[in-house]
Amino acid sequence: MKVLNKPVDMIAVFYSSGRVEPVKFKYQDTPVTVGRVLKRYSEKLAGNRRICFICINEGAKVYELKYEVDTQVWYLFKM
Amino acid sequence: MQGRVIMHIDVNSAFLSWQAVYNLQRGYPVDLREIPSAVGGNQETRHGIILAKSIPAKKFGVKTGEPVWEAKNKCPKLVLVPPDYHLYMKCSSALMEILREYSPKVQQYSIDEAFLDYTGMEKRLGPPLNLAVRLKDRIREELGFTVNIGVSCNKLLAKMASELKKPDMVHSLFPEDIEHKMWPLPVEKLFMVGKKNARKLQSMGIFTIGDLAVADPELLKHKLKSHGLLVYNYAQGIEDSAVFPGYYMPMKGMGNSSTIPFDVEDTHTARLILLSLSETVSMRLRYSQSCCSVISVSIKYSDFRHRSHQQKLPTPINCTMDVYKTAARLFDEAWDGSPVRHIALRVTSLDRDDYIQCSLFDRPYRTKNLALDKTVDSIRNLHGTGSVVRACFINSGICASLGGAGSENWPVMSSTL
Repeated sequence: MKVLNKPVDMIAVFYSSGRVEPVKFKYQDTPVTVGRVLKRYSEKLAGNRRICFICINEGAKVYELKYEVDTQVWYLFKM
Repeated sequence: MQGRVIMHIDVNSAFLSWQAVYNLQRGYPVDLREIPSAVGGNQETRHGIILAKSIPAKKFGVKTGEPVWEAKNKCPKLVLVPPDYHLYMKCSSALMEILREYSPKVQQYSIDEAFLDYTGMEKRLGPPLNLAVRLKDRIREELGFTVNIGVSCNKLLAKMASELKKPDMVHSLFPEDIEHKMWPLPVEKLFMVGKKNARKLQSMGIFTIGDLAVADPELLKHKLKSHGLLVYNYAQGIEDSAVFPGYYMPMKGMGNSSTIPFDVEDTHTARLILLSLSETVSMRLRYSQSCCSVISVSIKYSDFRHRSHQQKLPTPINCTMDVYKTAARLFDEAWDGSPVRHIALRVTSLDRDDYIQCSLFDRPYRTKNLALDKTVDSIRNLHGTGSVVRACFINSGICASLGGAGSENWPVMSSTL
């Protein structure tokens, strides 16, 4: 996996329970539907809160999405 | 105050490690802490000093406070990053949030230091040294930067302990350890002994903290006045101030200054800069519900000559235009016409603003101006400082509210425990 940290357009579900679920994002003008979330965790490095999702799509490609709470921006962090 | 347990938490090379962690989080391949790097101003806008440096940069002899070009000469490969005070504030608040989980009494001492009163928490959270190690590890895991923690029975010893060996360490310095841990240190390592005092003490044959502790207090008082007794007590580890929850320090004055990217040679530009500084200072003044009776302006010329001028006002003020008018007059009186690179505006002799004595000689429309300031302040609080600016700044190339780094609420350094 390579670190990209690229902001992406994202469709996500924010459940009333507070849980966040990424659904679909745009990568290089192609829409990508998020397959399965393998792991979710939150990090607070340098006081900057990010919710991280390690995801996998068919064809076994693992990638990492991060949602930055303060700026409300989604990042494709690793691919 | 026997039986107290105080911890001092100090972030290791704060500005640099915060920036390093933030960069790593954003996927930067290198850790700034592992290469010669420094946080420093922008040379193009002449904000050119080193604010913090990494440990590898320290090996090249790079010092905090020296000009960027000098540091570059010592270490040509030095990686420079600009300061980002909003990031520092974020890191600082995240740190304080964690500390407050361990004790209700946490005093934020500066942007990267805090005191934590652990007295009475042992029953719930275990022995202080064990907790300090856990706390240090938790901060490293969760926030990504390292801290030093000093544990002792008062604030002074805790602070001295946290400075013993860096980075990422826990030290204790209880009264019984003073003799072998603190006394062999050079005297300038003691809190409140600066360069000048150290020189005076050295001329008296006092080279280590131990020498100071056994010196004659009468002689110290004679040479250094009351400060001599203070450092004499500190050398023996005597200090008993309480941990003030929150941030507590009675403010004596406030000011803002700015190094201008170009040399100012005409009155018009100088006035704009003064107005811009007045905006920042008087906004802070009103925010802290104070008014001031002394205004001082200081000028640094392009050849680094320095001049300052101040005035005591008959009635206290906190209105932007009043501050500006006085500052402009002081500037005109002090300025000799040479090119200026740095202007500072400072207000002192602060007082509460709930009752202000009016005077027959007040500027007209004083009440109206105050109401205007109040309205502008609330708009700026809601929508940002740049939401309302004076028309004279449009296309002037000068920021409408100069000075300030976003860290006004916590001083970078302080001398009162």
